Amino acid sequence: MQRRIWIVLLLAWSLGPLLWQLYTSFSTNQALVSPFSDLQQRWTLSHYQAVLNGNPPFWRYLFNSLLVGAGSTVLTLVIAIPAAYGLTRIRGGVNQWARLILIAAALFPYVLLFLALLEVARSLNLGNHLLALTIPYAALSQPLAILLLSSAFRDLPIDLEEAATLEGLGLWQRLRWVLLPLIAPASTSTAVLVFLFSWNEYPIALTWISDSDLLTLPVAMARIAGSSIYSVPYGAYAAATVLGSIPLILLVLMFQKSIVSGLTSGAVKG
Amino acid sequence: MIALLVPAALLLGVVFVVPLFRYAWLSGHADSVLTGLVAVPNHGANWWRLLHDARFWQDAQQTLRFAGVSVSLELLLALVIALLLDQRWRGRGAIRALSLIPWALPTTVMALGWRWIFNTPYGPLEQAAGLMGLPALNILSSPSTSWLATVLGDVWKTTPFAALILLAGLQTIPSDLYEALRLEGGGPGVCFRRITLPLLQPYIALALLFRLAQAFGVFDLIQVMTGGGPAGSTESLALYAYLNAMRFLDFGYSATVMMGSFLLLVSLCLLFWLSLQWLQRWLGRT
Repeated sequence: MQRRIWIVLLLAWSLGPLLWQLYTSFSTNQALVSPFSDLQQRWTLSHYQAVLNGNPPFWRYLFNSLLVGAGSTVLTLVIAIPAAYGLTRIRGGVNQWARLILIAAALFPYVLLFLALLEVARSLNLGNHLLALTIPYAALSQPLAILLLSSAFRDLPIDLEEAATLEGLGLWQRLRWVLLPLIAPASTSTAVLVFLFSWNEYPIALTWISDSDLLTLPVAMARIAGSSIYSVPYGAYAAATVLGSIPLILLVLMFQKSIVSGLTSGAVKG
Repeated sequence: MIALLVPAALLLGVVFVVPLFRYAWLSGHADSVLTGLVAVPNHGANWWRLLHDARFWQDAQQTLRFAGVSVSLELLLALVIALLLDQRWRGRGAIRALSLIPWALPTTVMALGWRWIFNTPYGPLEQAAGLMGLPALNILSSPSTSWLATVLGDVWKTTPFAALILLAGLQTIPSDLYEALRLEGGGPGVCFRRITLPLLQPYIALALLFRLAQAFGVFDLIQVMTGGGPAGSTESLALYAYLNAMRFLDFGYSATVMMGSFLLLVSLCLLFWLSLQWLQRWLGRT
């Protein structure tokens, strides 16, 4: 019984603010301003209509974020899987040092890098290209990705690979047909975490992208906030929050096992 | 084998190492609108300015206060959640998934959500206070409360992460240990003090280190929720560096602020590590 109270508290804490956004998104402006007076109309879909018919329409931001997220995930894995494999096959001091450097990089508050990255983007003309964002995202995701994947490679029995070598499989074939299928769970965890990071990333997207058709979701959200504190259209904003949250909520519910194992395997093994 | 590491190493070098050298170089130069956005050596003037910049030190203080308070609250809350999720009950997986949602959402999304919740005079908190006959709370427009509101936003979002790390730690503790202690007549309080806390210690340290470093770089939440205000009371170091570059167009000084923040963080991490060592030795003795 006592446990039930704690569970209810946990749910209220985690979901309460979101439910309030849900309530706001369906309320008329009048209902938001004076909720306790007699209202002719309390509920409305107009906020959703405004957001979906905006310029650019809201789905555009979702699409941009999806594109950047997917691109970054693929690029990260393509680079991190060979690196993680290489790291597990290197013994001794180099391995220790590489691990230490990766942990330090994973800890680094990357927001401090934005100015230098912006200069790079300017000199290479990468600004206002959605797929260009995948380069810094893949780079910033490397530490976590390599650490997670290399701990998965380390757990595989070495005999397996030796047997495959005796069968005459080259390095590439061993990776592709023997090792990759075995580390699929770790790859999934890594992919989901990288996707979430890229979908949510803010400071770099904010400084690289200025074209309003190319904004990713977090930047588009913040742009609404850029107007004065008193004129923020909270009803429309809440509708955008709800629409923007739905894909992520689905992602979390679908991949929660991968997310949990990804976040915790580093903690348990490291 | 080394060849496999080259692409990743190159990418990491470009994104992590080059910027630090670039900042070190840029911090020795004036590079702003005044110089026509051309870097001109100014012989340490940026660093001299940083040492005497009251705003930088106030932001440093604010950033540390923010990080310290929100990470402590997060870990306490995360410990409670982890202990709850570590027990066996039906529907535990679903609740764990639902409690992860705040962590997965973009920071900017809920930053604006919080702004609405704390809004004066229409937000729910003000409305509730009005119903109870309290005076207006003005949470986001008063320096003494607005930073607490940003702490709440941060705690809400990042507690699930810390809770998962602690939960992973709890699940490595064999249940025989608890049974043995219970047979000797130890109650739940004794079990928690003598088994849970000591064995969880490395996980607490890990979550603490990760969260402190992340909270030190807080940017998204502050920029969207308060913009650093009121009166600069919630401004973080990262936001100050950002404003220097993007609003004041003073790239030389922005780089100096970033280098200063970085050095501050490194010395704090060293301090943290040393005090952990000291704590472990002290715990080992008693």
